[in-house]
Amino acid sequence: MNALFVSAILGVLLMLSSLFIKDRNYIHALALAGLAVLFAINLAEFDGWLLFEMDLSGMLRFDRYALVMNAIGLASFFFYLLLSGSAMEKVGPHHADYLALLFFICAGLFMVTGFESLLILFLGIEVVSIPLYILTGSDKRNLKSNEAALKYFLLGSFSTGLLLLGIAFFYGARGNFMATVSVDPTVVGSSLQLAAVLLLLFAMSFKVSVAPFHFWTPDVYDGAPTVFTSFMATIVKVALFAAFVRLFEDTFSLQFSLWQPWVAGFVVVTLLIGNLTAVFQQSVKRMLAYSSIAQAGFMLLAVYTINGDSKEGLLLYAASYSLATIGIFAVLVYLQDHTFEGFNGLAKKQPIVAASLVIFSLSLAGIPLTGGFLAKLFMIKAALAYQPWLAIVSVVMAVVSVFYYFRLIQAMYFRKDAQSISIEFPKSFPIGLLVTALIVVLLGIFPEAILGLLYF
Amino acid sequence: MHSSFQLAFLIPLLPLIGCLINGLGRNWLSKQWSGLIGSGTVLGSFLISLLVFQTVETGQDAVIAYFDFIRVEGLHIPFAFQLDALSSLFLLIITSIGFLIHVYSIAYMHQESSSSFARYFSYLNLFVFSMLLLVLGGNYVVMFIGWEGVGLCSYLLIGFWFKNLESTKAANKAFIMNRIGDLAFLLAIFWLIIKTGSASFLEVFDFIQANGGTVKFSATDITVVTLLLFIGATGKSAQLPLYTWLPDAMAGPTPVSALIHAATMVTAGIYMIARSNVIYSLAPFTMSLISWVGLATAFLAATIALQQFDIKKVLAYSIVSQLGFIFLALGSGAYIAAVFHVFTQAFFNALLFLGSGSVIHAMGGEQDIRKMGGLSGKLKITYFTFMIGCLAIAGLPPLSGFFSKDAILLSAFLHQPLQYGLALFTAFLTAFYMFRLLFLTFHGSFRGTAAQQAHLHESPALMTVPLILLALLSVVGGWIGIPSVLIHDADRLGTFLSPVVGPMLHEVSHATKWVLMTVSAGGVLLTLGFAGYRFSNYSATESKGIFRFFEHKWYVDQLYEHVVGKPITYMSRLLNEWVEPRLIDALVNRVGRSVQLAGKQIRFLQSGKIGSYVLLMVLAMVTVLLVQFFIRK
Repeated sequence: MNALFVSAILGVLLMLSSLFIKDRNYIHALALAGLAVLFAINLAEFDGWLLFEMDLSGMLRFDRYALVMNAIGLASFFFYLLLSGSAMEKVGPHHADYLALLFFICAGLFMVTGFESLLILFLGIEVVSIPLYILTGSDKRNLKSNEAALKYFLLGSFSTGLLLLGIAFFYGARGNFMATVSVDPTVVGSSLQLAAVLLLLFAMSFKVSVAPFHFWTPDVYDGAPTVFTSFMATIVKVALFAAFVRLFEDTFSLQFSLWQPWVAGFVVVTLLIGNLTAVFQQSVKRMLAYSSIAQAGFMLLAVYTINGDSKEGLLLYAASYSLATIGIFAVLVYLQDHTFEGFNGLAKKQPIVAASLVIFSLSLAGIPLTGGFLAKLFMIKAALAYQPWLAIVSVVMAVVSVFYYFRLIQAMYFRKDAQSISIEFPKSFPIGLLVTALIVVLLGIFPEAILGLLYF
Repeated sequence: MHSSFQLAFLIPLLPLIGCLINGLGRNWLSKQWSGLIGSGTVLGSFLISLLVFQTVETGQDAVIAYFDFIRVEGLHIPFAFQLDALSSLFLLIITSIGFLIHVYSIAYMHQESSSSFARYFSYLNLFVFSMLLLVLGGNYVVMFIGWEGVGLCSYLLIGFWFKNLESTKAANKAFIMNRIGDLAFLLAIFWLIIKTGSASFLEVFDFIQANGGTVKFSATDITVVTLLLFIGATGKSAQLPLYTWLPDAMAGPTPVSALIHAATMVTAGIYMIARSNVIYSLAPFTMSLISWVGLATAFLAATIALQQFDIKKVLAYSIVSQLGFIFLALGSGAYIAAVFHVFTQAFFNALLFLGSGSVIHAMGGEQDIRKMGGLSGKLKITYFTFMIGCLAIAGLPPLSGFFSKDAILLSAFLHQPLQYGLALFTAFLTAFYMFRLLFLTFHGSFRGTAAQQAHLHESPALMTVPLILLALLSVVGGWIGIPSVLIHDADRLGTFLSPVVGPMLHEVSHATKWVLMTVSAGGVLLTLGFAGYRFSNYSATESKGIFRFFEHKWYVDQLYEHVVGKPITYMSRLLNEWVEPRLIDALVNRVGRSVQLAGKQIRFLQSGKIGSYVLLMVLAMVTVLLVQFFIRK
């Protein structure tokens, strides 16, 4: 709860800061310092330390799972700011405003991970979505950016409609908005409740870009300024997944047999569409958009399986996927050419950057000794307990994903650069990238560092 | 735990550190430093090994677990060292000979550039590290790490002059032949782990002693495990049918042949079987197979050695033959005799190889003994030490080889008189070909070129001192195991080892022993005399009949080529030219193409139009709702 309020306050502070502080570096430093504070008070909440007591009427509940998820989100945000913060200047002059919006999104994310009433879930999702619409269109003179923002807004509104309708049915079935398990036999099997489950399934699937509700993703991710795509594809998506899992595993656990087959179907469709289409992309940015759909398919396995393994898996997935994707996007921001050719011969010019990118790619593909491997392992192991064929499909699709992730490695190490445009990175950038990559590796060796937070 | 045991971890660690320093610093280190670091670390290991040995001699032993190497459900394999009589004895052999050979190498390799000089010492240190790990390991897994490590180092060092195609081929051959054995070893380890739930020597042996022959570990299990372990041993210790790599391995630098392919690595298989004696004592079939394989190898290699002209090839076959003797002893259940012969042959075989290195050094790289002769005048120290080596390997009393070979012959006599006869004959052959070698090399008149004659010189002290020390050890090394019939209570080795491998069988009267000893000593003397008479003045003649057969090494290489090599080549060609492109590639490419095709089709769904997106989503939702409410119901 600490983080929720403080991030909202920080958002306001940053919005006002542009009036008083002219130097962007100070604003940037302020944001980083704010994040450090957020992280610290979020950690403090593990031990029950609260900034102030407040009656929430049971609408918010920050359990360990939510707090760990928030911590992962904040850590990812920190690395995101570290690596791509300065790249926001390229988008436009309103540096402080962008940062403020990002902090507002954060506040929304904390509501989403800790919701206990469906109203809060709705509110949180809207608090997240509206700044995202703005950020998508923030590159005002770029037609693609505008188009993406409009598409995102229209399709987002459509899904919000579904969400609201689902919540209305939910209220109709139960007479309240509380996200607790209802054992009332008139509720459990009622048509209204079933319709609510399905509608909420559609709406949440849309938000985390699960097929067949993923259509907005490639267009929006591609059109939005790369810096913000990075944020959307990682921190936002992962937190929404936490809410997805919470909603279906806790609130709808008794309707398990109803939604589980559909989720299984969505997993398969998402994995197929995400991976097969990613194979075809020439632009790394678009490839990452599709790969984020494919990775959503894997994360959806955590919804599919109600057991501890998948929840732990989702935490690992959240951390390793976010860091790796943020890392690749951070490099992409600095490249003129966003196609695979743009990466040609990068290993010669920027060995540290290239090596870090290799680690990110390996992690996303799920190669051992990286966090991505263990995350996939947890997911597939959890799925194996229910449906062996689902695990098989996942493994096969993970193999397909190797194709496009390794294309990146191939371009960097085995292709010669045709046009010798030198790529300029800020001086500290390669080191920051390497640290991020090291964390991805460490996650693969000491996963208990994160998983331990859940229990101790 | 005794304080010297607490230092045990340093024994393998020191050479590893030396390996890292030499390997990483090869471009900066001068030759002096490389040599100093290389031999100094091994000397350190030797000193600690001495301490450990002394402690073990007082009757202590220990298994020290350092950390968990593997810990998974139901299986726990610690990284543990086992210090007892057997391992401490091997420690001494490895580090003492290892140190002498490191010193010798400093002079022998002086023509190398400083970076490849350091590379050489790095490999050599790595070898010593792996070999020490092999004998120190407290379970089969740690032993296997060392086992693979020595195989790798052997490969690296045989192919040390990798620009020479012959060396590279020999390195490959050694590696591949060893891999066949390694596979069997690995299978044996898995088998043991599955059946006994552990890989630790003590636990496995306890389990088998308790449950051997019952359902938990049936007679079949025992036979299979012992056979697999034995196949592993035949690879590393160059026994039939996997021995052919060892003669070729002589393409490496001579000190490497002396260290790896004479004194230490080739005894790894013997160590492994001696270590597993508890299992073997329950497997009579495997035991008799081992004794016959050992005998056959000893005989075959001895006959080949009769007709070889490359000085190192003769020695290589003599080693194969000696190893065969040792396996004969193992198969007869005489572990002490086997370890005794490992101990003595390590000294005289290393000595003979280093001596041959000194000869080759003096001859400017020439290895053909037909082009040598009369070297005794110029290479006095080499000559005398080499002669001591020859006498020791021939088994002349009171040199070391006599006692150990006698122990083996005695065990063969007790086990199977026919084997005794053949072994005795092979022992005479040994004496014969060694003296042929000695006379062709050092006696008669010089048959090389004038330039070579002018170049002849005794090797520097760094080379001769190790020769002298090894010669000394070759003389006295056997005195630790003098049978009680000669001097009462002088068999210190037997007393020392019996806690690990069980006591030696003594069921023969003193009279029989005396007869056996006299027969072998007398026979050897006669053979030496005959060889001296036959080869004191050598002239090249074409070999005929059976000797031609021996000269061509029984055509074993050709046999393998036709029976194994060719069919594999044909099958590979079939797979490569037909199965691969027509079946596998076709399938894989079709899968790949269909993935691409599917991707292409799916891509069209992404039209960029909001209307179509919404339509598709609505269609999906309607389908789900319809199915849910009207069909699944």
